[in-house]
Amino acid sequence: MSTAIKPQPAPPSAIQKARIPHAGRRKVYRGFGLVLLIVIAAVFVLPILWTISTSLRTPAQSFDNPPQWIPLNPVWSNYSAVFQQVPLATFFLNSVFVTGAIVILQLITSTMSGYAFALVRFRGKGAVFAMVLATMMVPAQTTIIPIFILIRYLGLSDNLWSLVIPAVGGAFGTFLMRQYFLQMPSELAEAARVDGASNFQIFARIYAPIALPPMATLAVLNFSAYWNEFFRPLIFLQSTNNFTLPVGLVSLQGNFGTGSVSIVLAGVVIALIPSIAIFLLAQRYFVEGITAGSFR
Amino acid sequence: MTTLTTRTKSLRAASGPEGARVRNRKRAARREGAFGWLMISLSAASILVFTALPIVFTFVLSFFSWDIISPPQFVGLQNFTHLAADQSVIHSFGVTGLLAALIVVLQIVVGLAMALLVQQRKSTWARSIFRTAFFLPLLVSAASISIVFSYLFDDHFGVINYYLQLLHLPAVAWLSSSAGATATIVIVAVWQQLGFVFILFVAALGSLPKDVLEAVSLDGSGPIRTFFSIKLPLISPTIFFAAVIGLINAMQIFDQPYVMTKGGPGDATTTTVMLIYRTAFQNIQFGYGSAISVVLFVLLLVLTGLQFLISRKWVFYS
Amino acid sequence: MTSFLSSPVSRRSVLIGGAALLGTAGLSACSPSGASSSGSKTLNVAYFGTQQAADATAKVAQPFIKANPGVTVKFNGINGTDWNDFFTKVLTQIAAGNPPDIVSVATEGVQLFAQKKLAHPLDDYVKRDKDQLAPYFKDVHPSLVEAMMYQGNLYELPTDFNAGNMYFNTNLLQKSGLQLPSPSWTMDDFHSVATSLKSNSGAVPFDWVVRLWGSWTSFMYANGGNLVTEGKYTGGDWLWSQFYANDPAAAGRGGGWKWGAPTANSDAVVESLDYMVELANSGLSAKPDVGGGSTLQGLFASNKIGMSIGGGFWAGGLHNAGMQNGSFDVQFFPKWKVQRHLFGTGGYGIFESSKNKDLAWEFLKSLVEPAAIDVLTSGNSTTPARRSMMTADRYSTTGPKNWQVFYDTLDKLPNTAPIPAPPYYNAMANALNQRTTQAMSSGNAKSALDGLQQDLETAAASVGS
Repeated sequence: MSTAIKPQPAPPSAIQKARIPHAGRRKVYRGFGLVLLIVIAAVFVLPILWTISTSLRTPAQSFDNPPQWIPLNPVWSNYSAVFQQVPLATFFLNSVFVTGAIVILQLITSTMSGYAFALVRFRGKGAVFAMVLATMMVPAQTTIIPIFILIRYLGLSDNLWSLVIPAVGGAFGTFLMRQYFLQMPSELAEAARVDGASNFQIFARIYAPIALPPMATLAVLNFSAYWNEFFRPLIFLQSTNNFTLPVGLVSLQGNFGTGSVSIVLAGVVIALIPSIAIFLLAQRYFVEGITAGSFR
Repeated sequence: MTTLTTRTKSLRAASGPEGARVRNRKRAARREGAFGWLMISLSAASILVFTALPIVFTFVLSFFSWDIISPPQFVGLQNFTHLAADQSVIHSFGVTGLLAALIVVLQIVVGLAMALLVQQRKSTWARSIFRTAFFLPLLVSAASISIVFSYLFDDHFGVINYYLQLLHLPAVAWLSSSAGATATIVIVAVWQQLGFVFILFVAALGSLPKDVLEAVSLDGSGPIRTFFSIKLPLISPTIFFAAVIGLINAMQIFDQPYVMTKGGPGDATTTTVMLIYRTAFQNIQFGYGSAISVVLFVLLLVLTGLQFLISRKWVFYS
Repeated sequence: MTSFLSSPVSRRSVLIGGAALLGTAGLSACSPSGASSSGSKTLNVAYFGTQQAADATAKVAQPFIKANPGVTVKFNGINGTDWNDFFTKVLTQIAAGNPPDIVSVATEGVQLFAQKKLAHPLDDYVKRDKDQLAPYFKDVHPSLVEAMMYQGNLYELPTDFNAGNMYFNTNLLQKSGLQLPSPSWTMDDFHSVATSLKSNSGAVPFDWVVRLWGSWTSFMYANGGNLVTEGKYTGGDWLWSQFYANDPAAAGRGGGWKWGAPTANSDAVVESLDYMVELANSGLSAKPDVGGGSTLQGLFASNKIGMSIGGGFWAGGLHNAGMQNGSFDVQFFPKWKVQRHLFGTGGYGIFESSKNKDLAWEFLKSLVEPAAIDVLTSGNSTTPARRSMMTADRYSTTGPKNWQVFYDTLDKLPNTAPIPAPPYYNAMANALNQRTTQAMSSGNAKSALDGLQQDLETAAASVGS
């Protein structure tokens, strides 16, 4: 949290003295906490490190144990092989378009509807919200055929918009935003209303700006969900030129998985790079957003 | 659900003659109602057309027998009576329930613990490193990470058993025993989705009222007591949210068993969605597959409803 | 494809193929449904493979496109881990009202598509163009053709096949002081090779994949068992008397395999799966990957496995996985009660719903020209169905040295048969996978196979055949 906004704590000296009996125990807690944190964080990162290091090994070395965690002779040709085998730039641009459009559109619709479900009173709210919630409980595998038929009816087969349009209204996003708005004080709205602000002004000027943290959360979650989406693009898209990255990259695996493991993993790493970049960029907004939202 | 939002009457402060006040209030309420509908219109319309209608289609289809190629045949309740006696369906619900319970509980406990520990770190730098570490798995597609894990968890050639044996621990039959395969799927699912829960908790902990926390720490309460008496109640809405979403997601688990175990060994990790996929798409019994979907849907609906009911007892909305 | 340009055989056959196509295009110009009468027509081909492979394969259509101006052939690569996966995706496209004209289907799906009336029988076309097709049939073993038949009708012209032979890592054999076994080796020999590999090389002696083709099912065939009762449909004489009149290998062929009542818990089947459990328990084989074994070739190529079941497609796969020519070789599958192999064969079928069937047939014919099969089997990713294309030259880059085994499995071992693929293949494959992993984890083959028997009986009843 940036120290700029955080209220400065009282000068420590006096308080610290009062806490001395606790200080030792607290240190042990913190030390133990740090060790636990490092161990678990390592568990989370190691599989990805293994993926990266294996993508830099020759296929023949890829199953060696102990794995060579730091490849001494990195084999970059696995990466150029990815570019040779598939039109990666096209896949990339398609993914950027689809993911970008869905993230932006869902941010708009989910923030609006989440706010309405949490803080606006209107008839039928409960019923509509129940419908929204209920739609989250159906596995995508079971509704894919009717959606596909709908897509064809709309003339959107083999079109990138076929992935975007059905995803405009996010049930999950609505739920997420609603939960956040529920935790926000309603006094702000009342004060503004007394000042003569319209319903929309209250939303746009007061609530939307302090809803930045959940918006950032939603954006990043949606980004990672749709960037990696596999099932819908696989069925909705037919031409190679329309493929998104996950569908395009899976071709590296080959029939019956006969592709080289190292090249497959190189593809996984390439697809991962933009995700990491976006997250590192968005992380700043997380931190700022959370800080901004932390004063009440 | 509206009962969850408790609010003071907003217009009490307005003054004036009684009649005008009532008129104003009515007009304002009407305006607010129209505004609410306008705000939800985009989401609701899109969800209605692209999710709700297909669900209705699924419901309708559950009363038919359909192999895609020839026209559907109406069979009444036959799919459901068949389903009630189908051991593989019943078993799949058991598998799904077990996996979901383990995943949701582990996810919340570990996610909250990690969020608390990261919260303790003073340096922004360390926080961002750890945050990235926990969030990283969420950025990889479930399908490709499942491929990676099937290499890592391989009984004979995998890295994990190699290190276990190096530590003089017995090699685990990760992917060739029922318990091992269940554990592997739980581990991979928690590994992958923890970042989501973690970020939710970091945000929730970050927005706790500073004055209250400082008052408590001045009070001399230890961190554990502070957590259970102050922080936990304050972030209970977030825990509730994580549990609802986590359960809905975990009950639909598909990618990990599909890629890593194909539902095996035997049917030890055949989840309900896998069974639906297999029935509908591989055995081409769309009607029967839809009937299983309907049962799963109703079950999820009931479970979520229960969660909402129980939440009134423990979730604290400020 | 380099082999396409460098091999003189190929170049000649391009010319022949092209000329033949020009001829047919000229003929069909008069008929109203003919190819060149249409301004622009598109043939959609659903291809089992990556889009990259589909694009490479699309080259195969160039002579055809040249001969049929205004016609486009679109290869849509549909990737999958196995045939089941592929069929699922094709069926989804059909469900959404988007069926392809032509689909690549292996033995696995021939009866599935035929029984559901998705595929169009080729009988009339074959009879009509018999002179043109005579050289092709002469070059293809009748068992491959028979595997493409159902109830007396022919649904596909085989382009390639793979039989379940045994592959050896020759580095590991040498390390253990062993040599490639003789063609007539037995299950006892297999056991002693495995034991020796285990104690001398430190590698896992044998590994296998859970699936229908080349799984423990290879042991089952060698033990004289099968999952279902074997039989033949009547009919098909029109084909055998026309093209295979003087071929002894065609004697007794019928109208396609009739897969009858399930026999999954018969003694021979139980014994063979029990053998697999014992192999794993004694450390002579790895417990097979429950997930489908995408790593098997990689492990084999990196000297972690001594023996495994593979067909001609393993040559290209191992080469791609970085294995040097000469560090692996192939032999027949050992004799147990019999020396019997299973195989699968691939080809292209015409969809019943296609509006361009005549055109599709012309294209199908062009696909069995040697030049076309050369493209389809490039890099030895699979084995050509045409005997004349099995040359030392073909295997000079990838290996193996003993490549003759591939076609000899058909020519020299007359009891070689296709994998059992009844119309309920999808359900069968799922049940087989599930029950196999159940047997391997519980160690109880009998009860798993009792379950399989029940699964198959249910599946067979639901198809009603």
